[in-house]
Amino acid sequence: MTQATDSVLLRDPLHQVSPRAVTYWRVSALIGALVEWAIAIAFYFLVLPAIFDGSRPWWATPLLVVLLVVPVAHVLVMPQLRFHIHRWEVTSTAIHTRSGWLSIDSRVAPLSRVQTVDSTQGALMRLFRLASLTVTTASAAGPITIDCLDREVAQRLVHELTEITSASEGDAT
Amino acid sequence: MSAADSPWLRLSPRKLLIDPVKVLGQFAFPAVVALVGISQGGRGMPWWALPFVVAGAVAIGVLPWLTTFYRTTDTQFQIRTGVLNKKTKTAPLDRVRSVDLEASLLLRIVGLSKVQIGTGVDDDRITLDAVSRGEADGLRAFLLARRAAAMASAPTGAPVAEARTDSNGDPAGHPTDDATGDPSSAVSSAPSLEPARVLAEIDWSWLRFAPFSLARLVVLAAAIGAVSQFGDELPVADVAQSAWTRVHQFALSLVIAGLILGGLMSWVTVAVTGYVVQWWNMRLTREAGSLHLTAGLFTTRSISIEEQRVRGVEMKEPVLLRMVGGADLSTLATGVGSGGATAVLPPCPRGVAESVGAEVTRSSTAMTVRLTPHGPAARRRSWTRHLGGAFFLIGATLVAMLWLDLPRWLPVVVAVLALAWAALSAEASYRHLGHATTDEHLVIGSGELTRVRTVLENDGIIGWVVHQSWFQRRLELATLIATTAAGSERVVARDIPVAAAIRVADRSTPGVLTAWLT
Repeated sequence: MTQATDSVLLRDPLHQVSPRAVTYWRVSALIGALVEWAIAIAFYFLVLPAIFDGSRPWWATPLLVVLLVVPVAHVLVMPQLRFHIHRWEVTSTAIHTRSGWLSIDSRVAPLSRVQTVDSTQGALMRLFRLASLTVTTASAAGPITIDCLDREVAQRLVHELTEITSASEGDAT
Repeated sequence: MSAADSPWLRLSPRKLLIDPVKVLGQFAFPAVVALVGISQGGRGMPWWALPFVVAGAVAIGVLPWLTTFYRTTDTQFQIRTGVLNKKTKTAPLDRVRSVDLEASLLLRIVGLSKVQIGTGVDDDRITLDAVSRGEADGLRAFLLARRAAAMASAPTGAPVAEARTDSNGDPAGHPTDDATGDPSSAVSSAPSLEPARVLAEIDWSWLRFAPFSLARLVVLAAAIGAVSQFGDELPVADVAQSAWTRVHQFALSLVIAGLILGGLMSWVTVAVTGYVVQWWNMRLTREAGSLHLTAGLFTTRSISIEEQRVRGVEMKEPVLLRMVGGADLSTLATGVGSGGATAVLPPCPRGVAESVGAEVTRSSTAMTVRLTPHGPAARRRSWTRHLGGAFFLIGATLVAMLWLDLPRWLPVVVAVLALAWAALSAEASYRHLGHATTDEHLVIGSGELTRVRTVLENDGIIGWVVHQSWFQRRLELATLIATTAAGSERVVARDIPVAAAIRVADRSTPGVLTAWLT
């Protein structure tokens, strides 16, 4: 307990998520962007003139430009950044993941406290043969998700983790 | 053990005095409305329906007593209810986590109390509506002793659990659910051998803290709200109106002073009354591996929390209470429903809260250990965050002034107040930050204006989250979250230097992070 080393940082978890995740994130960001563009443009050309009797207030055009440009930046930058940051590793005793892109979360949980292991796959994820893995503990603050793993990797991992955790006794609180 | 297949017992017959009254109470209003409606409209229920209403109420009240039975067998507690759909609920005796007694004023008059048996599996607790006082106490003592005995005599699963944790090399990963897997803690709670020990009793000099605890301010606000709603409709309103205008011209300052004085006095009255009603005869004891809290003037509560479930304590010092040296103490326990924090002491002197906290956590140092501050970077972030809010407010006021033609002095006043408030809360919230580790506990300081010290058992930590926002990364700070099943399910150390965060996490749960330490 007291032999805590003076090491100050955690090294990165070993594995990256599937490279296809970049495309997946880009596509889903693009879909979001399209929806946002549609709303912004409709508002600009249809709603605002109706409210302001045919003319638009001076701030409408700059706002539209911002609303059109920001999603582009998001689509271009976010997927790469996220791919570099997302990492995971499972040892025989613990699971460690890192996720995020602007703000970054590192999560660690001992496997002896894991309660459930789920894998989920959205429709779009299925298209890219990806799957996410979620490990929950008895704490509402504690679920650990590895986004966008290769589907086969996810399946193997679920199997491994279930095996390890089903050996644990108790309710892991 | 002699209780093997004991006969089915009924709830106390004195319940029959109460339930019909209760049902009648619920019936009274509609019944009266119906009867009055009859006499006026000549329709609806005739007067002779009254006895039937009463008889119906009595029947409905009597029914639960007739159909509810309970008993304890060798291994289980069983309760049977229902007329057509018979339902039997059972609780294995070794699964009983808590036995709580509660008696409302009505129950106390006839010497009964309500028993709630928690099995810790879910929120669904077994409730015995009304058993006699003596029987309730006996039942509780019996159930808790049985659980303790089961724990002590049958450390089943211990070898399995030990073998597993050894092979994992993960000493922090004890499964500690029923304590069956953890011999050391089973011993430490010394079931049934330990005599009941009083940890705290109400001391009426603590009453001085009541007005400084704002928890009951809501009650007063609600009361004022209700009165003011009726105020307009009362006949006195007109008189008051004319009186008000006259007074208004003469002695405005006097009226304001009077109002403030009146407000303060009613606040003190409400606070003190509430304190007395809630904490009358408060007693916190430790017995048979559980903490028992009894308190209450009208409704007496008797709460027991299994010590295995208590993962830590939280001491809160709201700003007013701190000025007079007071504090609140709650336990953080698993499986006690939403919130998970149970107040075990009324507002009381800080020293008392500390010593009781030390007793509950069985740690002499955790409640008083000096917290390591989070350093200059954390202070800078605290100031930036609070000043940001203040500047936003000032900006908004400026814009509002330009657009709405408000007086010029308004933004100045807002600026002075907002900046002063920001400075005060920024410095306070920085000073409340801190962390420490003791042999068995993680200690975290937090809070904006309220100083909070959270003490969490290392064994209760079931994971870590190191969160870094973009701003935090530039300052090499992080928000360290220890996840747990107890209390609010997370203990948060905000703006802790990353290096310190990793060190704290590694010390609290040795082995978990080892693979990734560089």
